Amino acid sequence: MDLFLQQVANGLIIGSTYAVVALGFALAFTVLRVINFAHPEVFMVGMFAGLVAGTLYPAGGFLFAIFIGAIAAGLVGFLIERTVIKPLRGRDVLSTLIGTLGVAIILQNGMAIIAGPDPVAYPTLLPRKMIDIGPVVLTMRQLTNFGVCILLLGFVSFYVRATKLGRATRAIAERPDVAAAFGINVGLVCTVTIVIASMMGGVAAVSVGTLYGSAWAFVGLLYGLKAFTCMLVAGNRYFEGVMVVGLGIGIIEALVTGYISSSLKDAVAFFVLIGVLYFRPNGLFGSYSQ
Amino acid sequence: MTTPLLRIENLAVSYGSVPAVNGVSLDVNPGELRVILGANGAGKTTIIKTIMGLLAPRTGTIVFEGQHNLLALKTHKIHELGIAWVPEGRQLWNTLSVLDNLRLGGWCVNDKSLVEKRINEMFERFPRLGERRDQVSGSLSGGEQQMVAIARALVSGPKLILMDEPSLGLAPLVVRDVFTLAREINQMGIAVLMVEQNARQALKVASWAYLLETGHIVESGPAAEVADKDSVREVFLGGSY
Repeated sequence: MDLFLQQVANGLIIGSTYAVVALGFALAFTVLRVINFAHPEVFMVGMFAGLVAGTLYPAGGFLFAIFIGAIAAGLVGFLIERTVIKPLRGRDVLSTLIGTLGVAIILQNGMAIIAGPDPVAYPTLLPRKMIDIGPVVLTMRQLTNFGVCILLLGFVSFYVRATKLGRATRAIAERPDVAAAFGINVGLVCTVTIVIASMMGGVAAVSVGTLYGSAWAFVGLLYGLKAFTCMLVAGNRYFEGVMVVGLGIGIIEALVTGYISSSLKDAVAFFVLIGVLYFRPNGLFGSYSQ
Repeated sequence: MTTPLLRIENLAVSYGSVPAVNGVSLDVNPGELRVILGANGAGKTTIIKTIMGLLAPRTGTIVFEGQHNLLALKTHKIHELGIAWVPEGRQLWNTLSVLDNLRLGGWCVNDKSLVEKRINEMFERFPRLGERRDQVSGSLSGGEQQMVAIARALVSGPKLILMDEPSLGLAPLVVRDVFTLAREINQMGIAVLMVEQNARQALKVASWAYLLETGHIVESGPAAEVADKDSVREVFLGGSY
């Protein structure tokens, strides 16, 4: 039972990160109808920005690194939206998919040239400290990462449900033409959406870098594929659905690692995907009909 | 002569190489209710979507209030001039509540209290919507959804409302309500351009009618006169009407 609880806790922590990255995909896909394959690389850029910030100005601590990570990721996201996504939007879905994939490859390999192809040590932004919660033992970094991700998820939920701009975001997701016909500047909301998704990715990335003690030029691959799978499993109708699936996949992965084998861990998400798409092709929580 | 609120001249719109609307000219004067009658595929919705800037015409001009060239504007700017759209098949934001649909109707109104006031007026006019204000609009009946679509347009405080087949898919009793409502809106001083297949009802509320056939206007005149034309009687009203 203790192993079970421990693995569920571990799963929630990794799953919360999947959920944040998946939400970045989901925001772009739902609102802009774009599969933004550059999103995981924006996450990676945020991670390195936090590394640089924490190394050059250690006194700023965790929050300063997160701030810089968010700014850098937001800026890169903004530039990608302006230079690649916006000009290609409205054409074939494939155009933006290939365009953003190209950006992803440039960012990955560009960073590998700058920082090297191997993981780079992260500055110590949070102390190493174990915390007992009943039978479960977690590190302070794990708990912080979980807290950061849950805050981000809560923020998105609040933003899309309770703010004027968030309502417009959902209106565009469902019917972009009608939204424009009621005076909503669709292009502007799309840019804001990408910047928000990118900044969230940047925040989560610094937290993940701190958690594992390293940053890596190819870290985007690790999270990107899982997060993309989470979005497909959930369907794009409810952002909260994507969050739940992210957490769920994390838990299942951790349980498989604990009870079966860690080598099976990375296959789990895809088994879930195949199973869900077979029975519910629109995702667990439904999708907007196109 | 007053300047028409909306003037369309020589409009031609194609989908790829397939022409949908060809050489259409029409006017809507301030405070007037005009109707475009036509069968499926005649090009009615194409005209409405082109006015809203959602389709780009091949040729022609669309001018609002004698000075705004709508073809040079983006859709959201066209709405800001005071043109609201009641789309074919309602097209509500089904995953949003009734209240949120109406709030988004007032997106361009900067005075928040004015939006709240107009929404409350809508809930007084349509008590059933008031009861269902927190329900997602996708769960409402067709008639209720049409009321939301019309209320959503009214919350923006428009000068002109474009109504695209408001009676489509509704029960006969509700259809009558919709046309009565169109007349009420018009009596509030708002101009209405309606496209319809239900000629009998539409000709009762409109002052002026156009008959559209395969992208051309074939008849145009005061509604009472158009109702007497043989072409309209045969096609829309049943020969013996």
